[in-house]
Amino acid sequence: MINDFHYLKPASLKEALAMYAQHDDCKVICGGQSLLIVMRQGMLAPEYLLDIKHVKELSYIKFDDKDGLRIGATTTHREIEKSDIIAKKYPVLVAMEQKLASIQTRNWGTIGGNLAHADPAGDPAPVLMALKANIKFGNEKGDNTMPLDEFFVDYFETKMDHGDLVLEVHVPAPEPKFGCAYQKFNLLDSDMGIVAAAAAVTLNADGTCKEARIVLGNAGPTPMRVTKAEDLLKGKKLDDKLFAEAGQIASEEAQPVADIHASEEHRRHVLGVLTKRMLKKAFEQAQKAA
Amino acid sequence: MSHAKYSVINTPVHNIDGIAKVTGRATYTFDVTLPGMLHGKILRSPHPHAKIINIDATRAMELSGVKIVVTGKDTLGIKQGIWRRYEELCDEQVLPLEKVRYIGEPVAAVAAITEEIAEAALDLIDVEYEVLPAVYEPLEAIKKEAPTIHEGVERNVNVTRHIEWGDVDEAFEEADYIREDWFKCSGQAHMCMETRAAVSSFTPEGKLTCWASTQSAYYTQGLLAGVLGLREGDVRVLAPYVGGGFGGKFELDAAMFCSAVMSMKLHKPVKVIFTREEDFIASKRRTPMFYYVRTGMKKDGTFCARESRMFSNGGAYTGMGATALYLSGFFHSFPYKWRGYRYDGYRVYTNTLPSTSMRGFGAPQAMFCSEQQIDWMCADLGLDPFEVRRKNGHTEGYEVPGQAFIASCGLEQCINEIEKWVKAKGKMPPNRGIGISSCGFMSGGIFNWFDSPYSFSSAVVTINVDGTVELHVGCQDIGQGSNTTMAIIAAETLGVKMEDIKVHSGDTTHCPADLGAWGSRQTLMAGNAVKMACEDAKKQLLEFAYAEMGINIVYDLDIKDRWVHIVARPERGLDYFELVKKVLRAKDGQRVVGRGYYTPHRKGMISPAYSYMMQAVDAEIDPETGRIKIHEVMTAHDCGQPINPLGLIGQLEGAASMALGYAYLEDMPFEDGKLMNPNLVDYKVIKAPEMPPTGIIEIDTYEPEGPYGAKEAGEGLTNPTAAALGNAVYNALGIQMKELPITPERILKALREKKEQEAQK
Repeated sequence: MINDFHYLKPASLKEALAMYAQHDDCKVICGGQSLLIVMRQGMLAPEYLLDIKHVKELSYIKFDDKDGLRIGATTTHREIEKSDIIAKKYPVLVAMEQKLASIQTRNWGTIGGNLAHADPAGDPAPVLMALKANIKFGNEKGDNTMPLDEFFVDYFETKMDHGDLVLEVHVPAPEPKFGCAYQKFNLLDSDMGIVAAAAAVTLNADGTCKEARIVLGNAGPTPMRVTKAEDLLKGKKLDDKLFAEAGQIASEEAQPVADIHASEEHRRHVLGVLTKRMLKKAFEQAQKAA
Repeated sequence: MSHAKYSVINTPVHNIDGIAKVTGRATYTFDVTLPGMLHGKILRSPHPHAKIINIDATRAMELSGVKIVVTGKDTLGIKQGIWRRYEELCDEQVLPLEKVRYIGEPVAAVAAITEEIAEAALDLIDVEYEVLPAVYEPLEAIKKEAPTIHEGVERNVNVTRHIEWGDVDEAFEEADYIREDWFKCSGQAHMCMETRAAVSSFTPEGKLTCWASTQSAYYTQGLLAGVLGLREGDVRVLAPYVGGGFGGKFELDAAMFCSAVMSMKLHKPVKVIFTREEDFIASKRRTPMFYYVRTGMKKDGTFCARESRMFSNGGAYTGMGATALYLSGFFHSFPYKWRGYRYDGYRVYTNTLPSTSMRGFGAPQAMFCSEQQIDWMCADLGLDPFEVRRKNGHTEGYEVPGQAFIASCGLEQCINEIEKWVKAKGKMPPNRGIGISSCGFMSGGIFNWFDSPYSFSSAVVTINVDGTVELHVGCQDIGQGSNTTMAIIAAETLGVKMEDIKVHSGDTTHCPADLGAWGSRQTLMAGNAVKMACEDAKKQLLEFAYAEMGINIVYDLDIKDRWVHIVARPERGLDYFELVKKVLRAKDGQRVVGRGYYTPHRKGMISPAYSYMMQAVDAEIDPETGRIKIHEVMTAHDCGQPINPLGLIGQLEGAASMALGYAYLEDMPFEDGKLMNPNLVDYKVIKAPEMPPTGIIEIDTYEPEGPYGAKEAGEGLTNPTAAALGNAVYNALGIQMKELPITPERILKALREKKEQEAQK
């Protein structure tokens, strides 16, 4: 049963940061799609809930050819899914959002909330990491921007301290000859991923691999890069054999934990398959891209 | 083959309570609030098997707002069960006195002024247990050295069932090919949208009213009266709206019992609503089954004999499990003619959540084994699975020896239709296959283990002076739309329109007794009662009309669309409303009342009528990950005369969702007796956007025992799907799935084994 709590409803970002700084036993809510579940299970019982749903300054999607994409923290999943500019410039984000839980959840849940929750099974983080996204967070005193790669610390733990709010996600402008793909493995399309893999490939003018990024979801305490496999691909002319090898490395580097939904062995196996497939898909996209 | 032109029957109509439901006006038990009402919560056992040494509620009673704590000692301690005709099968004290037998079993209940206080009080009840060794699997529990779960029950065998006909051994001798397989079928949660819920109000006059989420208000009334020491007539059960049952809600549950016990002590209303987690861990489940199946066939595909042994995981108590044990064995023979058939079922107690009936009543498990094995045998012998099923299938007029008489059967047409559909799809791409499965199901059970002295179904119809009709039925609408079905039958029989009928149900005081919603019984049984009641009322109207119209007695009169007329000359007649007014005047102001009832007599051992079907599942499997994608489900279905085609589609889609879930998603894994996924994150059900397309081909038959030729439609549709998916996987990848659910890991394991076998060759 959810505990009784005091409800704080700031009207502006400034007020939100001030309130958060003032209240120690306080959790941020902005849709509650993650928080309410753990509160209902009694795992969290905060005295204060700070609802930033109405902080309009944090709800935006901006794109600039040079600067790239900036998404405000309280932007909902559904807004991202339905954004024309994102569909055009980063179709992988839209495809990911379309399979993130249900429409009801996407209508309420926000990108900032999802990343702050730091569930290693979350869908957006692996894709954003493959896209080299940065995250901006801050408190009353100032803000801080870092690559999303460095943001996650452990299960449900990030670099943010008490008083910090996620402010913005920044995705660099798409490079030429670039492709990115994401897939989660689950039994029902919109269910949480048992495991997941995102891959991004950038090609040189001669068709060799300029850069590859591989990020696994739910394969350890945080979304994880598989740099060993990325390095393997760099500078090479990519083919199925290399994708399979990279998949094998991903499968070995992963640290998945068994539960009722799949054994550790099966998770490793599927991570390998997904890595191989997503690399191939990203590579094919990159080949076709301008 | 429609035997009559109907005005209302077979016209699609929305459920008559649909608007009330979608606008939130429908009052479910959850919505009931009474003055001074308290909120109850149940303390549950953390141990799978333990003696209760002492329960101390002192600290809980000190909590402000707590009004009462009850334990087994505050009850009459009656061992109850729904098989109340058989004392040895009444084995469950809802609040046990001596020991607990599964994790989640109730040990105490609290009532407080708020739900929060009641919940907080649970932590303040101190229970001292002596933990006992526990056993979780039937094949372990049946061993000599296994712990005893119920005193005096040898080897934990709760019930056994033997079914046999023909000379089985001789029939096996005629077989050219005999195959044997072991199967393991999992449990499944009923997963009703509405969790178990009850509000009990006992008054100083000695009368108890209980709003309950139940599939049978009458059973709940009888069971509550039994455990509380009250007369049945002093217990009123109300269940105007029920959010699903699926076989899990016709026994006495802890919400009903604990709310009633506490209300009787306090003379205050008490409400108990299960959380979703409680519903998962402590409200029973589909029966897990181990099946050994041995089947003999001739080279030409003629079935000779079958011999099966089944061990089911009964969990801690009997519940409806004894019926599931029998029906699983009976439907395991379906829908085929066997010269010799033998089934031995053993229901074994274990220290797990009790198992019970669930939509399909043991048949989905039986079909998973039977229908797959038949396909494998066909493949082994190079036979066509459609042809073999046609060759051996039930036909109209067949008698299942000593068990059942088949008065209507559209199986062959079902097979033909699905064969056409499958062939039209052409050759499947790699890793994709279509699997088929046929089966049949009952239209209500003939058994009376409840020992009801009442007719199985009853109805009373009353016609008001303005021609509106009050239909009182005991059958229970639990979301399946039975009130709509009954209204259709009443409107058709009386010759009026749907909007003239008001249905009253879910009230033991004002509605006649009826066994309720289980075993696909209501359309046939309650439908017959409604038809009879309406014919009775109509006869009274027509008697007067004869006199009023002054016609030759050789003419037949009838009413259709509110027009009372001579059948041979429909233009000659009277307005229905005018007639009703006159009849009431003639009856000294008394309303017209018709009565009807139905109890099956001389209809065999199981059911008065059987539905038939064949289903095809089109599925694709990712051979690298084992993931299944269902492309389509098509069903050819013989339910006699459909009453409401829209209701039928709803039943089909609901059944497909539930049965596909059973086939590849839903599972209830236990570790040391503890359910590992008691929540909707970890327990997987198909959600609306993920439902594959489903289609239905209705086969027209006429069932002489059913009202207007109707029979079962809905529960039986759960039976074929797991087998059809298994056969689809077999056709796609050549692997045999002997365990449910069919998960990616099991598929990959089977693929590895197949590879190894091929390498050895």
